Amino acid sequence: MTDYSEPKTAGTALKDAFVAEWLDAAYGCFSSGHKFCREVCPVMQVTRNENHTPTAFHADVVAMEQGQVEVAEIAEDFVHCTQCGACELRCPNTLFAGDFYRHRTRTVDLVKAVRAFAVESGVEQPRWKRWVEATVERKNEPVLEIPIEQERVAEWATGLNLPIGGATILFVDCEAAFYRTSVPRSVAGILKQAGVEFGLMREQWCCGGPAAEMGYLQQARTFAEHNVADWRSLGARQIITLDPHDYITFTEDYPKYFGDDFDFEIIHVTELVAQLLREGRLRLTVPIEQTVTYHDACRLNKRKGIHESPREILRAIPGLTFHDVDHVTQWSYCSGAGAGLAIERPEIAAEISRRRIERAAELKVDALVSACVWSERLLSEQGTAASPSIEVWDLAELVAEAAGIDSGRVNR
Amino acid sequence: MTVTEVAAPVLKELEEILGPEFVLTSKSARINRTRVPAPFPVHRWSEYVPALAVLPQTTEQVSEVVKLANRHRIPIVPRAGGTGLADGAVPLRGGIIVDVKLMNRILEIDPEDRTVTVQPGINMLKLNEELRKYGFIYPDDPASYPCSLVGGRIGTSGFSLISGRYGHTRDLVISMQVVLPTGETVVIGDGGGRKIRKSSTALQLKHLFIGHQGTLGITTEATLELVPRPEVEFSAFFGYPDFETALFSTGALARCGLASLAAVILFDEEKVDYLRRDDEAYIPQPNDMRAVVATAMYGTRDEVAPAAQRLLRIGQESGGRYLGDEVSQGDWASRHDRYATPLHGRAPGGQVVPMCWHCEDAAIPYSAISRVREEWHRIVERYVERYGIFDNWGAFFYTNSAYKPWGDYLAELDVGIWEQKLDDETWAGWVACKREIAEVAIKHGGSITSCHGATRAGDVDLVPLELGGAYEVMKTIKRALDPNNVMNPGKYLFDDAYDCMTS
Repeated sequence: MTDYSEPKTAGTALKDAFVAEWLDAAYGCFSSGHKFCREVCPVMQVTRNENHTPTAFHADVVAMEQGQVEVAEIAEDFVHCTQCGACELRCPNTLFAGDFYRHRTRTVDLVKAVRAFAVESGVEQPRWKRWVEATVERKNEPVLEIPIEQERVAEWATGLNLPIGGATILFVDCEAAFYRTSVPRSVAGILKQAGVEFGLMREQWCCGGPAAEMGYLQQARTFAEHNVADWRSLGARQIITLDPHDYITFTEDYPKYFGDDFDFEIIHVTELVAQLLREGRLRLTVPIEQTVTYHDACRLNKRKGIHESPREILRAIPGLTFHDVDHVTQWSYCSGAGAGLAIERPEIAAEISRRRIERAAELKVDALVSACVWSERLLSEQGTAASPSIEVWDLAELVAEAAGIDSGRVNR
Repeated sequence: MTVTEVAAPVLKELEEILGPEFVLTSKSARINRTRVPAPFPVHRWSEYVPALAVLPQTTEQVSEVVKLANRHRIPIVPRAGGTGLADGAVPLRGGIIVDVKLMNRILEIDPEDRTVTVQPGINMLKLNEELRKYGFIYPDDPASYPCSLVGGRIGTSGFSLISGRYGHTRDLVISMQVVLPTGETVVIGDGGGRKIRKSSTALQLKHLFIGHQGTLGITTEATLELVPRPEVEFSAFFGYPDFETALFSTGALARCGLASLAAVILFDEEKVDYLRRDDEAYIPQPNDMRAVVATAMYGTRDEVAPAAQRLLRIGQESGGRYLGDEVSQGDWASRHDRYATPLHGRAPGGQVVPMCWHCEDAAIPYSAISRVREEWHRIVERYVERYGIFDNWGAFFYTNSAYKPWGDYLAELDVGIWEQKLDDETWAGWVACKREIAEVAIKHGGSITSCHGATRAGDVDLVPLELGGAYEVMKTIKRALDPNNVMNPGKYLFDDAYDCMTS
């Protein structure tokens, strides 16, 4: 019998609420125990530690219900996830019974929920804590040693004469705005050449996605509210994202925050560019004499099912030799850059990237093309270290070059 | 034993052997190495929690850990994928989990002598991704193919779905490096050469070290068979109006003598009903199709093309209706993913509840299949009715013999168990149910287990009955090789061997 004489502490109430929300989902996995997720998991492939498996993540919820563990004892395990979504796709519950039972294994949401539960319980990871604090302070992620300031968020666009506002807004991710600036420059150039009208935000803050992925929900929400208010003040209806992480944040997190009021159309730039090519509004005429393969960005391929448009674009580039690897095979690939792994466990993220480059090298390519700016720093580091080295392009940079636009790309 | 009982000096020794980051003492590291996918008494979780886990990377480290365990009399439980269904990797006395997942390197691929040497933590699918570049496969194909590891396959003497052509794990392991229960490292094979498939030198030990469920040592390297990547995979599914016709047809197909035939699998009526629960995903066939037989062939185009024609003819002449290419190819291709779905669990009122999968896996002579099946279903229905947390998921019958797929069958009876409802009474009920099922197998000249091992409660009680005097020989061997009873103690009731000694 439950003893009702003892008042519940805030911590117990939090735990009860968490367990109540996740227990059924947890038993869906616990009762299955197939573990097919394991060998496709990019983190598990490196650490081989059973605590880091999606099976363990779900079992931990059951263990919590059974009084076997507290959140403080499992929080560190939940760092070991890039939220790539491979495990969800590979889960037999999703693959073969999902449609009928309207069931989907939601490991990514579970990982986010446990991280949030941990933060709320005062269990924080030191590097994530510092990262989010810095982001809150500067309004954008601290992607560089140099000062990240809101005044410089559109510095990447210097000389492009882009307007502020309009019905269509180009949202430029922090990593792209401050670090790989050739990506937004390429995207802006492509859109202008194709006659797409767009503008920038008045004051673009971080999308808030990374904070949400690390468990800092309040901070994430603050960023979201600012950005949506900025969009509304500009009369925006359509948001173009160039980063798959933003695309996830705007299509999954923001609707949860704002409900039906969130009525913006969110477009990822690869979908748009493929459409522009199809409609003949963009022409690629400058041959790129390179042999490349494509890195399926996890958040496009595994989380959103976007794998055709990047391939369509690559096949439209003249001179390019494209060695494709099937998008299902790439369920087990990742750069390691997602969900803060590279911040909290850089050595694991680097090893995931090294293996991804190694697979590219087996195809005897000159370059690996990605469509995720976050992946590109890690992959470039490993590509440079490889022998022979492998260049890393963003798909937009490659398209810009093929369209005769100076992407301003620096190979690094 | 709990973590506090591995004294600080022992922990320090372990950290010196492995490096501190590979000695895991956290609560989550321990509770997540307590169970396998088999039904688990959730309410008694704490009884199975080990003291700690280690992640070795070399044979030498494994050997040192085992020697340390002997010095301090600490139980050792080897764990590979933890995907087994007989609790081999579940600790019964706490102790040290030797988790070999980080030992996942390919050590040598030898195309000339057709072998690959690996560490035990590698998964078959991952291994085959590498072997593809050389035109080979390692044809060990359990239902858990995407996640189980070579070490666990050896530890359980696993069953391969395509064994009719390629053999089972025990046929595919040529030799092994094994750390014995006292820590010495030896090579076990057919004779002394690491790549010799057949030898008559002295006693043949290979089978002894395959399927012991971690009670006789830890495999740290294995030299495995390579076969040419098949040019053709052909699968044909047949439908039947009733089980008996399908059983007759199964026998005819299995005895056909075609060397490329890798498997014949019979789905009984209850199994087809179970698969139809989701209405569309499985075998979308008319209702008069009540039993199904699946067949698969592998080999060169020259072998398989004519053989497939004959196989189709036999299937049809023995009462089957070919179910078409889409079902045949699609269902065979997805065989690993479909072996059980917790969402198909139903409470007695029809309510959908997530159920854990129990897979009974007896080996049964063909001539006894009909009677065993009937008795099994009667037993399960009794327990379903009485306890309300079990669910009959039907039966499969797979050709069991390596290379000659006839004679005896892996008889798989699947039962769903609503783990969330388990308590002492229902768990005891479940163990009694299992015991009854196993008794039927033995009564009809079968074996309790074809592929998982008979180490779980309910099965293990009957092992002495099944094996008779041979079980006494096993206890003598266990005592001789593991004088301190540190290797997976409590498994196979081998503690009896030591009780005899002290008395």
